[in-house]
Amino acid sequence: MTEPAPEPRIDRRTFLVRAAGTAAVFGGAAALGWRLGHPGRPTPWNERIFPPPGEARVAVLRAPSYDRGLEAIVLDGLRAVGADVGGARVLLKPNMVEYDPGSSINTDPRLVAAAVTALRRMGAASVTVAEGPGHRRDTGYVVTASGLAEALHDVDTSFVDLNTGVAAPRQTNSSYTGLRELWIPRAVTDADVVISMPKMKTHHWVGVTLSLKNLFGTLPGRVYGWPKNALHWAGIEGSILDIAAVVRPSYAIVDGIVGMEGNGPIDGTSKSVGVVVIGDDPVATDVVSATIMGMDPSRVAYIREAGRFLGQADPDRIVQVGEDPAAFVTPFAPAPGFASLLR
Amino acid sequence: MSVRIDDRVRACRNGDGGFGPVPGAPSEPEPTALAAIALDDEDARAWLRAHQRDDGGFGPVVGPVVRDDTGVVALALAAGPERQRALDKVVGTFGNNGPGVEGDPLGWPWSDGTHGWVEPTAWAMLALRAHRPSAVERVRDGLELLRVRESVGGGWNFGDRTMLGVDQRPYVQTTGIALLALHGLDEALSARGLRTLRDRWGAEASGLLSLAVATAALRRYGAPEADDAMRRLREAAPSGQDAVSLGWSSLALGPGLRTLEVP
Repeated sequence: MTEPAPEPRIDRRTFLVRAAGTAAVFGGAAALGWRLGHPGRPTPWNERIFPPPGEARVAVLRAPSYDRGLEAIVLDGLRAVGADVGGARVLLKPNMVEYDPGSSINTDPRLVAAAVTALRRMGAASVTVAEGPGHRRDTGYVVTASGLAEALHDVDTSFVDLNTGVAAPRQTNSSYTGLRELWIPRAVTDADVVISMPKMKTHHWVGVTLSLKNLFGTLPGRVYGWPKNALHWAGIEGSILDIAAVVRPSYAIVDGIVGMEGNGPIDGTSKSVGVVVIGDDPVATDVVSATIMGMDPSRVAYIREAGRFLGQADPDRIVQVGEDPAAFVTPFAPAPGFASLLR
Repeated sequence: MSVRIDDRVRACRNGDGGFGPVPGAPSEPEPTALAAIALDDEDARAWLRAHQRDDGGFGPVVGPVVRDDTGVVALALAAGPERQRALDKVVGTFGNNGPGVEGDPLGWPWSDGTHGWVEPTAWAMLALRAHRPSAVERVRDGLELLRVRESVGGGWNFGDRTMLGVDQRPYVQTTGIALLALHGLDEALSARGLRTLRDRWGAEASGLLSLAVATAALRRYGAPEADDAMRRLREAAPSGQDAVSLGWSSLALGPGLRTLEVP
């Protein structure tokens, strides 16, 4: 006889109340830091490292399914945005935060494998796939159960578990949190080119998760925990910005063939869009992707702020080099509490 | 006990006596503690003693993030002042529920000042039950955290029962360590967790860490699946890549498991 289970106690309300205590733990910058960059106040980023963002190029590519032609699609997209990976050690960072059979949580392994072969054809010296899952500590399970291990075996590529790999502290290049330094895996710092490869999803804490939010998975759980709760306490949006300012991905490849709407990034519903979005600027790529999701990217706080220094968020300065994004707009049901993001 | 698995663990040993998370990585407390338990390794214990923080704790410090591995290290240390200081740190470490949330159990966090979660709470409970049985209130708090974070139907994930009204599924790895921690404390809670583990361990056995922790828990509870799990673990562990999974494998198959068998 099963004992009656206790009532749920940990939920959004609790989380939000708890998160309000962030400033006390992480030195005050966490909760307020990203608001500090108003005109007349010191910018929270290192201006010597980040010149004003220039023009960006983003390619929107039709991709009806995972079953055929993905390598050519990725190749076309990377070439269209002028990606230069010749002789480079490339690190591909998909979103494998968790595995749930039948869900659309993860960047599809078939697209990851296609990206590997496309990058090789473009002359990459090496292509490594790496991730530090944020929910499950057992990366081996996530990678095998999701099919990623098999897909990478088929294209003879290695996988690096960023949760366990060699890592070292790096000073942050911005101060949206009080973290001051981040442990960054060597696999990331040794790469000449980092490509963020997210799933197109809604996110119940920050609205959408795309190439910038995906970078949470570059930080090792053995420091930040499972989940990477220290980053939540430091401020999720601020952490996104501080991490991206250290990792500085060169390109983004967004899996929008099937995305996730509603209560993402884990418990949402699959959403077919049939698109791959590739850009030479992660901020611009996220702007275009959010727009395809039916969201107003200027209302996504961290994307708007990222557009001040990490990349281009002004649609007028994002050159569309693929198909017309307007043809792919497929409004996503927003995450709970994020209806205001809808256009 | 497979010598090959122990050799794989030893491949993560560094010249300083500690163990890194993967071969070639600098030594860190958690893999060193697991190796010390699994291999009964005095050099590993010496490394741990030399790397105790001033607050008695163990774990990497990165900016304001102070990772807390003190529970597992307290289990690895031999009796002595270092273990007592570590246990003091465990007793004095609380998960942070933030302002305005009262009455919820606190448990233990992955890093100081953040929420309590299942795995660090389980390690802390194991350490206190083994070596500081007087810390009754803290063990009770840990037990209460495991009760309220239990997945619907039994077992645990990292520590969320529901999220925005959606029941969150249990994981094998966290269910296994929670079961080890609460052995003998709450029969009904353990029974639900064990049933979940027995149902699911095979489905997640492609992950070495999940398989190893499941094996340890199945053995601890005398589950009929334990022999099959041990067989599969012996086959899988020699290809393991990281010291935590390998340390758990060695521990689950060898005498180190007795360290987790608290009275």
